[in-house]
Amino acid sequence: MDLGPVSPVTRNMSRLAMIAALALGTTVQAGAQAERRGATGIVIVTGQQATTPVPTLMEGAANSVGNLDVVDQLFLRLAEFGPKLLTAGDRDFVPALARSWTRRDSTTLVFELDPRARWHDGVRVTARDVVFTFSRAKNPDIAPRLSDLVRQITSVTAEGDSRVVFRFARPYAEQLYDASYHVAPIPAHLLDSIPPDSVGHSSFATNPVGNGPYRWVRSVPGQFVELAAVPDFFLGKPKIERVILRTAAEPSARINLLLSGQADAMDIIPPPFVGRVASDTTLRLISVPSSTMGYLLFNQHDPKNRSRPHPILADNRVRRAITLGLDRGQLVQAVFGSQGMVPYGPVSQMLWIRQRSPRAEGPNIAEARRLLAATGWGDSDGDGTLDREGRPLRLVLSLPTTSGIRRQMGLLIQEQLRRIGVQIEIQQLEFPIYIERRSAGDFDVDFSAANQDPSPSGLTQSWTCTGGSNVAGYCNRGVDSLMEQAIRGQGDPGERWVAALKQIEEDAAATFLYAPAFTYAVNRRFRSVTISPQSSWLTLRKWSVSPVPVAGRSQ
Amino acid sequence: MTALLDTLRAAWRNPRGRTGALLLLIVVIAAVIGPALLPDPLAQPDILGASRPPGLGHPFGTDQLSRDVLARVVSGARISLGVALLAVALSVTLGAAVGIVAGYWGGAIDAALMRLVDGALAIPRLFILLLVLAVWERVPVLALILIIGVTGWFATSRLVRGEVLRIREEAYVRAAEALGARRRRIIFRHLLPNALGPLLVAATLGVGDVILLEAGLSFLGLGIQPPAPSWGGMILDSREVMVSAPWAGIFPGLAIVITVLSANLFGDALRDAVDPRSA
Amino acid sequence: MSGWLLRRGLQAVATFAVALALLFILMRAAPGDPLFRLSADRPISQKEIEVLRARYGLNQPIGKQLAAFVGGLVRGDLGVSIEHGRPVTALLAERLPATLLLGGSVLLLNFTVGLWLGVRQAVRHGRREDRWLTTLSLTGYAMPSFWLGLVLAWLVGVEWRLLPAAGMQDPLLSPDAGFLTRAGDVLRHLVLPVLTLSVVSIAATMRYQRVAMLEVLRLPYIVTARAKGLPERVVTWRHAWRNALFPIITLFGLWLPILVTGSVFVEAVFAWPGLGSLAAGAVGSRDYPLLMGASLLVAALVVAGGFLTDVAYALLDPRVRLG
Repeated sequence: MDLGPVSPVTRNMSRLAMIAALALGTTVQAGAQAERRGATGIVIVTGQQATTPVPTLMEGAANSVGNLDVVDQLFLRLAEFGPKLLTAGDRDFVPALARSWTRRDSTTLVFELDPRARWHDGVRVTARDVVFTFSRAKNPDIAPRLSDLVRQITSVTAEGDSRVVFRFARPYAEQLYDASYHVAPIPAHLLDSIPPDSVGHSSFATNPVGNGPYRWVRSVPGQFVELAAVPDFFLGKPKIERVILRTAAEPSARINLLLSGQADAMDIIPPPFVGRVASDTTLRLISVPSSTMGYLLFNQHDPKNRSRPHPILADNRVRRAITLGLDRGQLVQAVFGSQGMVPYGPVSQMLWIRQRSPRAEGPNIAEARRLLAATGWGDSDGDGTLDREGRPLRLVLSLPTTSGIRRQMGLLIQEQLRRIGVQIEIQQLEFPIYIERRSAGDFDVDFSAANQDPSPSGLTQSWTCTGGSNVAGYCNRGVDSLMEQAIRGQGDPGERWVAALKQIEEDAAATFLYAPAFTYAVNRRFRSVTISPQSSWLTLRKWSVSPVPVAGRSQ
Repeated sequence: MTALLDTLRAAWRNPRGRTGALLLLIVVIAAVIGPALLPDPLAQPDILGASRPPGLGHPFGTDQLSRDVLARVVSGARISLGVALLAVALSVTLGAAVGIVAGYWGGAIDAALMRLVDGALAIPRLFILLLVLAVWERVPVLALILIIGVTGWFATSRLVRGEVLRIREEAYVRAAEALGARRRRIIFRHLLPNALGPLLVAATLGVGDVILLEAGLSFLGLGIQPPAPSWGGMILDSREVMVSAPWAGIFPGLAIVITVLSANLFGDALRDAVDPRSA
Repeated sequence: MSGWLLRRGLQAVATFAVALALLFILMRAAPGDPLFRLSADRPISQKEIEVLRARYGLNQPIGKQLAAFVGGLVRGDLGVSIEHGRPVTALLAERLPATLLLGGSVLLLNFTVGLWLGVRQAVRHGRREDRWLTTLSLTGYAMPSFWLGLVLAWLVGVEWRLLPAAGMQDPLLSPDAGFLTRAGDVLRHLVLPVLTLSVVSIAATMRYQRVAMLEVLRLPYIVTARAKGLPERVVTWRHAWRNALFPIITLFGLWLPILVTGSVFVEAVFAWPGLGSLAAGAVGSRDYPLLMGASLLVAALVVAGGFLTDVAYALLDPRVRLG
């Protein structure tokens, strides 16, 4: 009872179909290769797609990494950072949209715009654009986040076509930073007729017109965004003609895109992959100081009753003991390899004050044990965990499920602290729950990660008594005043910041765990590659492409 | 009861069923006594020398936190099997109860229950679980079992209801009713025993489904919380190192495949025994 | 017939309503707040939160939210996604085609390869090939789709570089490339995700079809046909197969939920820009409007699928209509 394939005809037909498919596949493959070789392009892998990369529109969810990556290519700032990323003072900045700047007095800054600057539709960039931009930026109904950042700017006026005058509420060190960094100018002639709350839905938002080295071409939802070089860009035509930012939400998909040759560059290679990427000879690894920093934040208050001090952590000797009981160097080495360092105070590798601060201290298990004993903790029941008056030294460490790094390090920390008798229970929360609990001060120890702005003034949010993000209740008036002085520019800002850091460390407000450097990967056929710590692809326009394709790239 | 034993015996005689049963037995034994024989799955003895490939001392290699993969896979068996068996027991019980009530009482109760079942079946189980787990942020294992069990009874209830409807018309049931036998007696004496066959099939196949489901949830970060090892959680952690240390993800995956396969082999053989037409 | 259609149609609507109610209750009872996610890395001011909360209507009581939602649903408005800042209907519409392409390809493979193998098994019932195929299908059915996807992406995409490891198309293709080139490009990207999803689904189809075919092969008129001396080929493909069509129709109705579930994992692993990856992202960020929209769409598809299969049954078998 043999029943093979239905009939000889069918059998032959299926064979034919297979051959046809193969032939089609090969021709398509060859055709694709040919069509791609035209313009030079770069494919960058990102985790999030740009939705509205327009200054003043990036509020709330739109203040995303995806948008930030693209907005810097489309819109040029008045001035950009110098190599040291110094945010205080006027001298360390580099001209961009503004050709030069001068001071009239301690609260007035005057910018001269570069007359060569043009919007992508050909119209000249004028002082009116800057004035218009700041009128939108300072409006809290349109841009709550941005208006808060530029609150020190009292007025922006135009004197002629090329001169813009900024006036500030009071003298302080970061006036130039505030005027240039937070928002890049947007075209008044295209937007002033659109009411502010309609801009987000306008055609401008989906097809922005900027003045930067690249212009917007298209966005394919859920897949990629394409940009094209502006041929007559006044600071020099970019040598890479096409820029594709390709999105993949899953980390494994991103790394696969890079390693399979489908992408040329990727930001922030997760540490476990670095070795594998390093073995791919077509890729070059670049170490970039990162703006992130991880720390264990100790709640000074009792999470169950915020008016009472924390039963275990209110005593700063216990907090010091935990810091000394951790071998932070080993933690960093295990998770980040050679790409991480232990920070002194809440300072990421990107902040310029890092260079002035002392090194973080190493572990001291004996001292940790002594401190704990001195505060009355002993192991009365021999179970390995210290206790006092019947209460065990048990703390809950909260962290979000989204952070693989914190998950990994949390387990290592749990093990290390177990050795000095501190029992850590790890509580992994889904991100929204984690944020909710953290904001409400409902935690013992919060495994926090901060993504810092280039300006150290952001530290006031978390480390001053009245800081908006100070969820742990840490308060030291001395620190407040030191930070205030640094911001005003009274004395040497660098010295003041470091003094504030020292105080925070002595108070053991937190255990500062890691300040990593990120590892980026870029295909070797790109030359003159530099990565800016505060905005990954900012210098893309200065990169060049080697004409010969590097061997090893498939497809 | 004898019918049930006959079914089991028939399934055993089937070579595939036997293979499945034996494999399952091996997995269960490994889960029970394995952790006692193997190193601590939570221990991280050698942080700086993590991600070792399989070799002496670590037959399945170590993961990126230097934990022994074999030990974790075996510990994971305990958790995954435990969750699956308990959740399935819950589903089957609930499904049987609802099915019997709907089938035997009929009428408005039947209509209402089946409408609810239809509505719930319209939403894929994974979606329901994703949403429910969003309500209970961090889920202790018992709660996870409860939630999975409670979302799995819908199809079983339909099955049991079908059986009840069929048996209810049989002569001996009619006779019992005419003689004034109480409902409870009829349920437990006649309806339930006849439904046991299909229930057992549903249960066995359900174990496989729940293992896959729990693995998927853990992969999305919603299931078993660390550091307790679960197969899905291990694959989640391993995806970051799949290209450099694939063994950390391959072995838990294989464990899932073998366990689910053996459960399905045995379940299939049971189904053949219960319903010979499909043999 | 029309009376039956009406009743059945109303049933479908009622089922959908139950699903909608369940979903809404489940989601709004969640303690997480989507806006807190935004204070991830950068400090977020209270004022900003209030503005956004008002914009998305999250400060209304639940009853009002439900009423507003149902009202919007009737008009075809599913609200605005919190994470993406765009209308949910637009997002769903954008991503649906990719999932349909994936799902459609998988279904195609099921209805060709799966069916053929199932029939073959039934016809060679009891022989070595049948047993072998059964074991194979059971193994396929036991594989977690995300695991298989990870392994395939790594092996085929990265190590061997035979096919793209992720994505749906090559972004470097110039926009005026020919249709054939672009279609071929998508096809190449489609292979691995389809393979991953197909392994599991074909396994199930095979088993289903095998059972169905076996039942039919035992029917009296088939036996008679054979006894009359008709060649096996004719018996199989002209008579028996048509009767086995019923389970296929059921299968079609069942495949929608399975496809949707599987696609959540597979689309994530392969960065396939479909509904599955959209939904997965929405869960993590508590994007209520988007989650609700996606789940509703899925439920609607499932209910519609069930309704259509019933109609198909009714058309093929008059007894169903009258029963």
